[in-house]
Amino acid sequence: MALLGVSVARELSQYNVSIAVIDRHNDVGLESTTTNHNLVCQGGDSLTFRPGTLHAELNVKSIPLWPKLADELGFPLRRIGGLWLIRDKADFRRYLRLYSRAFKSSLEPNAPYYIPEGSFQPPLEFVDRKRLLDMEPYITPSALGALHDPNLCITDPVKVAKALAENARANGVEFLLNQEVVRIERQGITYSIYTRQGLVIKSTFVVNAAGIEVDRIAEMVGARNFSIVPLKGTLTDFDEEVGRLISHEVHVLPRIEDMPHVKAVLPNIYGLARSGIYLELTYRSDRVVREEAVNHNIKVAKELFPEIPFEKHVVKSFIGFMAYTNADTGWHDFVVDIPDYVPNWVNIVLGPAGVSASPMLGKKVVELLMQSGLRLEPKRGGFDPRARRGGVQS
Amino acid sequence: MSAPRTITLDVARKMIDAMIRYARDNRVLPGSFAVVDEGGHVIAAERRDNGLPATFDIAIDKAWTAATMKTSARVLEVITRGQGWRLNVKYGGRLTIIPGSVPVVSGNKVIGGIGHSGGSAEEDEAIAQAGLSAFYREDHIDFTGEDMLRSLRRIADAAISHVIEKKLRPVAITIVDEWGGWPVLIYRMDGGGPYGYIEASRDRAWTAAAFRVPSDAVVNEVGINYGVGWNERLTVTAGGVPFRLQAQCSQWVLPVIGLRMIRK
Ligand SMILES: Cc1cc2nc3c(=O)[nH]c(=O)nc-3n(C[C@H](O)[C@H](O)[C@H](O)COP(=O)(O)OP(=O)(O)OC[C@H]3O[C@@H](n4cnc5c(N)ncnc54)[C@H](O)[C@@H]3O)c2cc1C
Repeated sequence: MALLGVSVARELSQYNVSIAVIDRHNDVGLESTTTNHNLVCQGGDSLTFRPGTLHAELNVKSIPLWPKLADELGFPLRRIGGLWLIRDKADFRRYLRLYSRAFKSSLEPNAPYYIPEGSFQPPLEFVDRKRLLDMEPYITPSALGALHDPNLCITDPVKVAKALAENARANGVEFLLNQEVVRIERQGITYSIYTRQGLVIKSTFVVNAAGIEVDRIAEMVGARNFSIVPLKGTLTDFDEEVGRLISHEVHVLPRIEDMPHVKAVLPNIYGLARSGIYLELTYRSDRVVREEAVNHNIKVAKELFPEIPFEKHVVKSFIGFMAYTNADTGWHDFVVDIPDYVPNWVNIVLGPAGVSASPMLGKKVVELLMQSGLRLEPKRGGFDPRARRGGVQS
Repeated sequence: MSAPRTITLDVARKMIDAMIRYARDNRVLPGSFAVVDEGGHVIAAERRDNGLPATFDIAIDKAWTAATMKTSARVLEVITRGQGWRLNVKYGGRLTIIPGSVPVVSGNKVIGGIGHSGGSAEEDEAIAQAGLSAFYREDHIDFTGEDMLRSLRRIADAAISHVIEKKLRPVAITIVDEWGGWPVLIYRMDGGGPYGYIEASRDRAWTAAAFRVPSDAVVNEVGINYGVGWNERLTVTAGGVPFRLQAQCSQWVLPVIGLRMIRK
């Protein structure tokens, strides 16, 4: 498994259980974990998630865990801040509502938007055009100002996944890579997991974090109690020459005619700029990078920074899939759940903002497993949060 | 390959298979499933073995609501602030603002609707969503059980094969049960058959079930006076055929097949 699977494995490696991580690739983090926006929602973004959902809860509760995790595991976590451009009064009004949520949330711990104490340090603020130009000199003249979220971070999710995997391995987790799960049988509470490569793994608990394949894996034992549709996102990267000119995540609220696409540009950890996201619902085997999608991403970049010749600096475009729930309403939510009729089995569907929510995910799974009767006690030898053991790659 | 932009009969049946599988895996009481086109007209609708007869039309109405309102019942519930039932005055009760009603969106356009009835509101919604999920799956999700439905599907498939082989115009097929002439299955073949065929085939099936003779023999059996006005479903033209299933199913039902077909 990738980021989500290894987050859970690492969390569980603190306890007296034996754990194996199975993945069809020869390394961790080769699917959605490597094809995303790299954002860690540290504040403002979290306020946009529907209150009362697991999506909001896991993201918000992950906020204080990120700096600690980055320190323990030494992966990059850079606070770049976000600028949400205000083009007119309608934008301003919508941001004003978000802003007031942030203010309320830090006062009332039980409020649906509760953000843990200290998360908005420094707090969200409105900036006028003059300040905006100081922050982003090449920004579009149509921006009157912005809502500035100084807390938004970027990371390299693949590095995070690798660091978690190596730490999990150092704490006793076994990695079975190059093993594609093709069949699972259940006898009572014993699962036999068969791989295409001929391995049979027996286990009394299964955590299904197979990313976009999560539904197919769950169906193998009749444990699908959720539905997803594959949401394909196309992103475009631009070289360092452009990357140097952009220092925040900059986005505008999509208007009806922009739907369902996201209009954002941001730098990445390695100095490139990234634009997107062109979104479409399609088959998960549809891995083609469409010209229309790339043009959309370039157009978005130019809309936000009209003076920068993005089209001359394209490095690559690529696609990634998110498992999207409640596609009919657009009210995506996470699934972290044990199905009613299949014991000792946990389904995990995060999809959008899954990287950001990953630190809290492990804790949530531990809580669920304990509720379902697994006796988890701290490991006798102790857990070393910083230890690393390489060789996860097969 | 990208996902389809229209719902064919095969795609609709694939969606229903996935919904049946989901319903069985999650132990939902037997109910009915419907997939409709963007105008709200049935492409395929089916009732599980022992599903309540009334669920059939509720499922169709839910699918119709999703397709014609271009949104799911869950959203309608919110935007009408729970007062959605008032809209029904306009549609004689057809607008169904009960979860389990999900639009099918492809290429940013609503191209149809899905409805399920038979479980709780949450279950109905989850099953309809499983149908949407299947629309975006390249593989086919099969289920076990539902012997009666499977037998009836074979009969409908035989009728479809016949139409294709003989190069007849596409038809709509309805199979109803013997108790009340309640549909168990409706399929509309691809190829532009008018949606009016759906109701025509349903009426013939009902007529044949109600009188236990072919629909065009009803006049001979019971006399012409039974005709118009007695029951608006009564249709005495050819196309409704009663039949009895062999062996284990025979006592359950006297299903009737109703076809509406015109030679080319
Ligand atoms: C375009 C895009 C932008 C995004 N932007 C952000 C963002 O800015 N911030 C954020 O927080 N989130 C973002 N996300 C979401 C985030 O990328 C995902 O939530 C996260 O990566 C999911 O991690 P995962 O471990 O579930 O998935 P994956 O990385 O896809 O891992 C799933 C693993 O399961 C394995 N697997 C599947 N089937 C089998 C099988 N049969 N046998 C064995 N192994 C199997 C695969 O090999 C894979 O390694 C974005 C996603 C996309 C697509």
